[in-house]
Amino acid sequence: MNSPLPLDPSLPEPLARREFLRMLGAAGAATLSMGAPRLLAEETKLVQPTATADACILIWLAGGMAAPETFDPKRYAPYEKGLSYDRVLSTFPAIPTSVDGVRICEGLENIAQVMDRGTLIRSAVQPDLGSILHSRHQFHWHTGYVPPQTVACPHIGAWMARVLGPRNPVMPAFINVGQRLEGIGESEELKAFTTAGFFGGEYGPMNLPFPEEAAAAVRPPKGMDVGRFVNRDREFRRLVDATPSRDLLSDYQHESMLRSMDNAYRLLSAKERAAFDISLETPEVQKEYDTGRFGRGCLLARRLVENGARFVEVTTEYVPFFQWDTHGKGHETVAKMHAEIDRPIARLIRDLEQRGLLDRTLVVIASEFSRDAMIEGRPGSKAKDQAFNKSGVMTSPDHYGLHRHFTGGTSVVMFGGGVKKGHVYGATADERPLVAIKDPVSISDMHATIFRAMGISPKTAFDIEGRPFYATVDGKGVPIPIFRG
Amino acid sequence: MRRPLLAGLLLTSSLGAAPVDFAHEVVPILRKHCVECHAGDKKKGSLSMNTRGSLLEGGENGVVLVPGQAAKSKLIESVLSADPDVRMPPKGERLTSAEVATLRAWIDQGATWTEGFAFKKPAYEPPLRPRQPALPVARDGRTHPIDRVLDGWLTEKGAPTPPVADDATFQRRVMLDLVGLLPSAEEAQAFAADRRPDKRAALVRALLARDVDYADHWMVFWNDLLRNDYAGTGYIDGGRKQITSWLYVSLLANKPYDQFTRELVAPSADSEGFAKGIIWRGAVSAGQVPELQFSQSVSQTFLGINMKCASCHDSFTDRWKLRDAYGLAAIYSDHPMELVRCDIPTGKPAVAAWLYPELGQVDPSKPREERLAQLAALITHPENGRFQRTIVNRLWHRLMGRGVVHPVDAMQTQPWNQDLLDVLANRLVESKYDLKAVLEFIATSQAYQSRAEILARDAEDKGYVYRGPRAKRLTAEQFVDAVWRLTGTTPAKIELKVPRAAPTAASVKKPVVEPLLAAGIWSGDVAGGRLPEAGETRSFRRQLVLDAEVDVAACVVTCDNGFELYVNGKKLGAGDNWADPKSFDLGSALIKGANQIVVVGHNAGQKPNVAALFFQANIELKGGARVKVATDASWEATASLPNAKGVFAAGKAKAKAAEVVWQPVAIVKGDAWRKAEARMAEMLAGAGASSLPARASLVKSDLLQRALGRPNREQIVSMRPNELSTLEAIDLSNGQALTNLLSAGAAKLKQKTWASPEAFVRWLYLSALSREPSAAELKVAAGMVGADLSEQGIADLLWAVCMLPEFQTIR
Repeated sequence: MNSPLPLDPSLPEPLARREFLRMLGAAGAATLSMGAPRLLAEETKLVQPTATADACILIWLAGGMAAPETFDPKRYAPYEKGLSYDRVLSTFPAIPTSVDGVRICEGLENIAQVMDRGTLIRSAVQPDLGSILHSRHQFHWHTGYVPPQTVACPHIGAWMARVLGPRNPVMPAFINVGQRLEGIGESEELKAFTTAGFFGGEYGPMNLPFPEEAAAAVRPPKGMDVGRFVNRDREFRRLVDATPSRDLLSDYQHESMLRSMDNAYRLLSAKERAAFDISLETPEVQKEYDTGRFGRGCLLARRLVENGARFVEVTTEYVPFFQWDTHGKGHETVAKMHAEIDRPIARLIRDLEQRGLLDRTLVVIASEFSRDAMIEGRPGSKAKDQAFNKSGVMTSPDHYGLHRHFTGGTSVVMFGGGVKKGHVYGATADERPLVAIKDPVSISDMHATIFRAMGISPKTAFDIEGRPFYATVDGKGVPIPIFRG
Repeated sequence: MRRPLLAGLLLTSSLGAAPVDFAHEVVPILRKHCVECHAGDKKKGSLSMNTRGSLLEGGENGVVLVPGQAAKSKLIESVLSADPDVRMPPKGERLTSAEVATLRAWIDQGATWTEGFAFKKPAYEPPLRPRQPALPVARDGRTHPIDRVLDGWLTEKGAPTPPVADDATFQRRVMLDLVGLLPSAEEAQAFAADRRPDKRAALVRALLARDVDYADHWMVFWNDLLRNDYAGTGYIDGGRKQITSWLYVSLLANKPYDQFTRELVAPSADSEGFAKGIIWRGAVSAGQVPELQFSQSVSQTFLGINMKCASCHDSFTDRWKLRDAYGLAAIYSDHPMELVRCDIPTGKPAVAAWLYPELGQVDPSKPREERLAQLAALITHPENGRFQRTIVNRLWHRLMGRGVVHPVDAMQTQPWNQDLLDVLANRLVESKYDLKAVLEFIATSQAYQSRAEILARDAEDKGYVYRGPRAKRLTAEQFVDAVWRLTGTTPAKIELKVPRAAPTAASVKKPVVEPLLAAGIWSGDVAGGRLPEAGETRSFRRQLVLDAEVDVAACVVTCDNGFELYVNGKKLGAGDNWADPKSFDLGSALIKGANQIVVVGHNAGQKPNVAALFFQANIELKGGARVKVATDASWEATASLPNAKGVFAAGKAKAKAAEVVWQPVAIVKGDAWRKAEARMAEMLAGAGASSLPARASLVKSDLLQRALGRPNREQIVSMRPNELSTLEAIDLSNGQALTNLLSAGAAKLKQKTWASPEAFVRWLYLSALSREPSAAELKVAAGMVGADLSEQGIADLLWAVCMLPEFQTIR
């Protein structure tokens, strides 16, 4: 184990001298950049709703998690050679959960036992964007806006960072776990929404693609021991103070750069950095979570939230044609995905509960859309069929699964953070097409709901290029009534 | 713990107090019911609602609106009144109760107003045509037109003239601004020692003459402004097209800006990527179809007009209407378009038209190509001062840190100094749209050469006051280039295929493409199928007689597995990775008359395996004749090895010279080297210029550059953030990319001979900050590297200096 870095009290004197600047908070950094977005509420006294959650964990099952294979089981048909697609709604049988009358899919036995801690929304819908491109629907889900837009849209986590700021001044407000942004398909498209957009870099994500390497992200670089790292910083500060030209360089610019350096050093030297190190958990806990990278990500998310992170996204990762993006071998792949998510999600909920954090932490499980064995897009959609096998009949186990992208209705699960317990909201049809038939929830309303829990009005707006840009499109998102009260 | 009793109740109350959005909620109500009689020329009852000021002033019956007090505002009273003498509007539809509620809430919340907004005529409408301002008399011998305007302004305001910046500050600033590079320690010393009175102007001109450096640097600005990138959204499925080569060649040749613009607006295949925009798969909102992207991009980039609002509905913030946005779109469109308001079709056809009909108009009946050519001509019309002012304002912003109009894309707003803007614009026109001439014009002014303003947090709370140039943050590209150069870690090559060489008349028209003629060769004894031994070494030669002096000559070489190259008894270089061909400048090595090229090739591996040498030189002689030399059957091979200079019969070895037996080579064929061959062809296309060191602007964005603020270029970016964010600071503090760079750099610097730790510190301060360290700095810094100049100490000092705000700023 690494020896700890010195904590704040031992920081060199120049840092203390600039302490007053930190009181301005991260938000202060952007104020002088002319043309930077201005919170319109400052003028109009927008009243924000009272928050029911302080932190949010978004569990992102990227690639199109099929609701009928997870949280919304329908009529089950086992595989047999020659099985016709029209007979298949679910490829997993349903199992009971801790909520009477609510069933989810076999393979999610652990999650089934914590369903009484949350609300299951079965009627989330997405617009038909004409052609299914995962990253485009993901852009929509993460920003609330359909791409392209004329300004760079902020990620939902950036909204929280911008409006609410960090929960703990040392911890980055927006942390993104498990998604690589380099070297994979559609990575440029992923970068387009994994950003603070026009809010500016101060509110952007800290990206931790590999949970097991997260500790390194807040540690001195490889090959540099702690003593050297601390010494380097101390000498840097001495050099800053020895600079004769301070009076020539604008104080404001100078100080704003130094403040960011201070913030960085503060995280790298604070006790909170231990939050990034999942190896500090007991072997038993690590084993419980460790179903793979995603499971380790859930453990990391729990540690980050315990230590004051505001928004953490943790994902099974989007890589075209992998994980939930099943164009073939759907049943086999989803069975593996069940095994990957079931234990860690359930354990995460229990851990948060046991630590008394669940009430004030909103955990959201979502995906960009659902899947169906027959329908691409939604009934009547002109979207191009992207399933590998188009014959209509299954001649191999590889054909068994839901291989088409479906936008007509899907499930989102929310735990904690003030939402009702053991509650189901909305419903989809029991026969194809499995569209939302009760209380459909748009992405705007879904965002309004999440924002509502976090204490952000859906009408919160920033002025960019002379126009208001709202937390939900035109400020019109409406939270759905799933809150306890 | 206190909890709300009912979530629903809480929600209602928060909505009740929700802010009214002036632009989207209030403006439509006033527009519908009031402004017909109370805006623009109409002031019924002397009341104008045109601007907030005029509305608050009230009319003949006194004040009508009290901000914060709807109950005391006559406006509310009159829209509710049933009295025919009082009621408003006097005739027609009454306001709905919802509309009245909105107005009440708006007034109660302070009756906020979008800054600069006016119903009829904008409070300010910039001049369209060029102006010829009268220049104030020069003061204190400051005769530069920019200084005459600014000195006049300063005199009028009674403001002090910003003091002149010292030479070193100026040199660092102007080098970073014009070519994006720090002055080296040698350049800094030479400039300091230069006693010529006009050395600053001379430096400006010399920098602008560095065509390749200039193009490399300005790619950053133009890629941002034309949203061109080497990877990014849209390229994945052909929905986007690069204009990189066209752009690079245009900058290299300093293409006149009017022509440059015409080639983007009415494009050829090379430059069409800008006009095409980003075509997304599937359905997009009506305001983001490619035709409207064209409308927006052309408006923003060339005219500083925000057409994004008007792409969806008549703009609430400036004069542009939905039909204006569609007018431009229809010029570009290859099919009839219908006006769509907020995604709802209006049934009205879009008519091809441009924005300033007073300068002429596009003929909608003409075919698309002609319409685009007409638009291009109108944008670059000599009387279109807006076009000229927009670009000179951008250049002023880049060099001076703040636009004359600011933000630079809001060209409808008032410049802080109209005459200054016009003097700059007129310089552009007089120089025949020569952007380098404008840069020279700015950089040679005393204003540019002044000390940077000391900026306070509240600098612009009361409007902008000119106090000299403003410091700018280094761009990601400038930072990375600076670190590369300081530490000697610049990558040897770039991935982009751009011709980084001074343009010749021919290359501007068409970048040179050179076929690879070189064949793989090895000694003749492999002809029978023998595999070269592991570790086998052979010498190869080619004798060459040139009829004239060499003008330019370059070669590419690679050998499976390694080689050394000698020309006329001089070693030019070596390579040890066959997949990474090397290029060399032969210009000074080849002579008129007899030449000898010798390459020693080595095979590697554990057991016998194929080996091959590839070489090709493209030579241009004075007078224009071209000579190509490539490995082929005319080469000879021997098992003998030359001396260190590549000579076989020199000095005492003369006696043995007779033993060197040159024999014909064998051609070696194989697919294994295809990648290297393709790379060599690419390098030849660069006409030898690929030996130029890489620039950060010419490589794909990476983690480090993104951490330093290089943007995704899905949107046009005209101003990058000036602040360093915390996440960026974390990356700079412990990111592996910078750490590795600095470690590699430290290892290289350690190799050099330094007289003392202090000597190293002096060199570093001079190279990085263009100044000597103070005594206090020298002490701290020398302490960091230690008496033995440890590699670790050097790396740590490099980091500390690069993290100084002074380093990260152009001041």
